[in-house]
This record gives sequence, structure tokens and C-alpha cells, in this order.
Amino acid sequence: MSAVEGGPASGGLPPNTIIAIGVIGGLAGIYLTMLNQTFDTKIFSVMGGIGSIFAVVWGADAVRRVCSYGLGTGVPSIGMVALGMGVVAAIFGLIIPETGILPIPTILGPVISFIVAALIGLVIGVMSNKILKMNIPIMEKSMIEIAGAGSLVLMGLSASIAGSFAFNDAILPGVVSTGYIAIVFIGGAMTILHPFNANLGPDETQYRTLYVAIEKAALIMVIAGFASLTVIDAVSAAVTMLVGLLIFLVYFNKFMKSVHREAYKVVGTGLLPSAEELE
Amino acid sequence: MIIDPISIALITLGGVLIGLGVHFIPVGGAPAAMAQATGVGTGTVQLAAGAGLTGLISAGFMYNFLATAPGGFGTSDFILVLASGAVGAMIMITVTMFIGQLVYVYCVGVPPVSAKVDKDPITGDRQDIYVSQGTEGHGVPTVSFVSGTIGGLFGGVGGSMVYVQLMQIGNAPADPAIVALAGIFATGVFYVNAVLASYNIGGTIEGFHDPKFKRVPKAIISCLIASLLCAIIAVPIMGGVS
Repeated sequence: MSAVEGGPASGGLPPNTIIAIGVIGGLAGIYLTMLNQTFDTKIFSVMGGIGSIFAVVWGADAVRRVCSYGLGTGVPSIGMVALGMGVVAAIFGLIIPETGILPIPTILGPVISFIVAALIGLVIGVMSNKILKMNIPIMEKSMIEIAGAGSLVLMGLSASIAGSFAFNDAILPGVVSTGYIAIVFIGGAMTILHPFNANLGPDETQYRTLYVAIEKAALIMVIAGFASLTVIDAVSAAVTMLVGLLIFLVYFNKFMKSVHREAYKVVGTGLLPSAEELE
Repeated sequence: MIIDPISIALITLGGVLIGLGVHFIPVGGAPAAMAQATGVGTGTVQLAAGAGLTGLISAGFMYNFLATAPGGFGTSDFILVLASGAVGAMIMITVTMFIGQLVYVYCVGVPPVSAKVDKDPITGDRQDIYVSQGTEGHGVPTVSFVSGTIGGLFGGVGGSMVYVQLMQIGNAPADPAIVALAGIFATGVFYVNAVLASYNIGGTIEGFHDPKFKRVPKAIISCLIASLLCAIIAVPIMGGVS
């Protein structure tokens, strides 16, 4: 149940800037994992995780904009549908060039995933407004954004676990068969839905919500690094974990500072009183 | 064949059954968490997914057992897997409702009552005089409990239908890659349909006696289109991996 019913979200960076950051940053991160093949190493797997952070920022901002209208069913649903659409689109896009059904070079995989995700998002958004009559003016646009961000998060985290976005060679044995895809699915959904869910209310501000988004994305990146211990080598996994931890600490600090600055008062309650003290 | 129309039709039907099942589950949302509305106090997606994923696990266990047994996988086996998924989902949703009910009755101290009908359509018990003022009912009355169990049935059958079809196209019941891929795809299709259905009911519903239940046709059309789209995408993938 959204506390702020009706009305668009305001303040902070304009939506188009965030969209650009998310799309370019997300895709760049996924493609930069290709440096692994160029230099015959796994150390650049960390780029996938960093790309997923950009995508999470975009997804969380899109959730923030659409949920400001009040969905009537709580914020978590939209995060789960983001990754639900994202996982179907991401795997389709990555696998289609490799099956050889269509003459598409493998390198276009992430872009195809992204386009398919946007397409599914458009269909779901149009149905929400036209058939289910949700009457949220930005529903179609937001669903496209959320599905696109979901697929980028999924691909970014998968690439950082497996060290490459090649489906049959890396993601299928490294992320899908091992079951890490479930962590990526739920963890990715959490990063997109949690920031606005945690911050919603009349005094919600964009930068505070996005601090939480970056901080949560960094935490999932640490988990992805931990998962990649069994998939790629320990040094690359450690790099992913350390970078994730560093980003987490920096942005958690920023979030706490903004909470302390914007709250009317922050007081410590101390420990629970003992039975004698209560009498 | 890379695009098999029967598989696509069955996956779409599975998605529609999931969307239909969500409408039967008594979802109370945040008001029910404070015992101010009938149903279990959490969102549609969490309840449906909890039950549906449990159904998926029990269906997966049954499928693995039957498909790896000598003699292959026949039509009667297909029905057994669907039944297994349905029972798994029904157990999960009934346990959730029952434990929730214990908390509502013995911890919060409210009588299970529906505010949408004057008499319980199943037991015929008077409802309206037990609804606390300013609330929309509490707990899980008999009719909602029965409705929720039916919802688990539809959700479980739908989820396992999607899963079994994907596994049949993958055609390698013991390959962990195929199992995981079919599982995550079924989960994705499940979430898309559950969320569309929950948008249709607008957060809370008591069960099949709720006036909101009349909105079901709209959800069926939406889930049909969404599942069809997902099925057209999923079928070539599973065919492509194997």
C-alpha cells in the first residue's frame, strides 16, 4: 500500500538522465566483461557487477516514479514482475544468436535481450492501462523501463558470476546449472523494489532512494562475487567482492548521513529496560 | 520443430490458470496485517508465489521421478505431475491460512469474519454482526479458506503445466541445466501472471464470493496475452538448448 497516492514523483535528476545512465552504464558494464577474453583473464568480471549497479539505479528510479501514483498492491509486486519479464527476455536474447536460428552475431545478445524486455514491458504496460484499467499515465513507459532494467541487472550479475555473457559457454554451466540464477533473480528483484519500498512517504527524496539502490546493488554484487568463487578463479571473485563492499560502505554512509540530516531528530533509545527498572 | 503450437498453447493455458488461481486466494494486504481486513496479511504476489513455487517443487520432484523411470513419460504421467503440483500448492496455501488464522484468533483476538457477505455462502453463518466497526472483516472465514484452497489448486496446476511443457521440449529430465532453465522460466511466467492478476484485483480480495471476483475475465485476457508472449519466447529457447 503506497502511502503517497496520486501525483507524479518530483525533484532530483530528470528521468531521461537516469534512463541514459542506466542503459549506457548497464550495457557498457556487460560488454566490458569481454575484456576477459581479450586479455585472457577473469579479472574484468567485476565490470558486470558495476554495470548492474547502473541498471539498478535506473530500475529503482522507474519504480519510484510509477509507484508514486499508488499501485494498490504494494511496491514489491513491480520488482518481481521486473525480473520475471527480465529473466525471460535476457535468456532469450543471449541464446538466440547461439542457436543459429536467426543470423545474428553473438555480440548483439545483450542488446537483443534489452529490446525484447522492452517489448514485453510495453505489452504488459499497455494491458495494465487498457484492459485492467489501472489508469496510471506513465504505466506503459515505466513498464518498458522496469523490464529493461530487470534484464540488464540479470545479465550484469550473471556476467559477473560467469565472467562472460556467452550463454552456452559461460552462463548456462556457471549460473543456470549451479542454481545461482535463483539468487540473481530474487536478489535483482530486491535491489529494484526495495529502495522505494524502504523510503516511500511524503518526505521521500530521489537521491536518498537512489543511495539505497546503489548500496543494495553493491550488496548483491558482493553475493555475486561470492557465488563466482566456485565458477571462476578466487582472485577475480575477491575483486568483485571487494569493489562491491567498498561501494556498499561509501553509499551506506551517504544514506545514513542524509537520514540524519533530514530527520527531525535522531535519538538512541538504549537497551530494553530490565524488569526492576520498569517497576 | 522449433515452435510447437501445442506446447505454446499449454504454456499459455498454464499462465491463465495461474492468473485465475490468484483471484481465489484470500489476500488481505497491509490492512489484514493489522487484522482490519479479511484474508492473510501479505500481498498477492508473495502468497501466490509461495504456494506456486512449492507446487513447482513438488511437480518437479514427481516429474523427475516419472520421466527418468523406464517406459518414458506418458499422458497419465502428465496428469500425475499436475496433481502433485496442485497438492503441493494447496498444502502450502492451507498451512499459511491455518497458521495465520491461529494468530488472528488466539493472538490478535478477532473472530474470522467476512465483510463482503452477510451470510457465509458455505456454512450459512451470520457475518455482519461480528465485523468490528471501521474494519473490513478479519481472519480467514470458512468460505475464504475453501476459496484459497481452490486458488492453490489452479495455481499449482498452472505452474506445473508450464514447467512440464518446458521440460518436455528440453527433453533431458536429468540434465541440471535444463531443469534449472525450465524452473527459472516457470518462475518468471508465474510472477508475470501473478502480478497482472494482483493489479486486476487492486491489492485485496476475500475469495470467490468477493464482488471483485467479477473482474476475472479481464485478468484472463491479460494473462492470455502475456503468457502467449512468454511462451513464444520460451519454447524456442528450450528447444535451442537441447
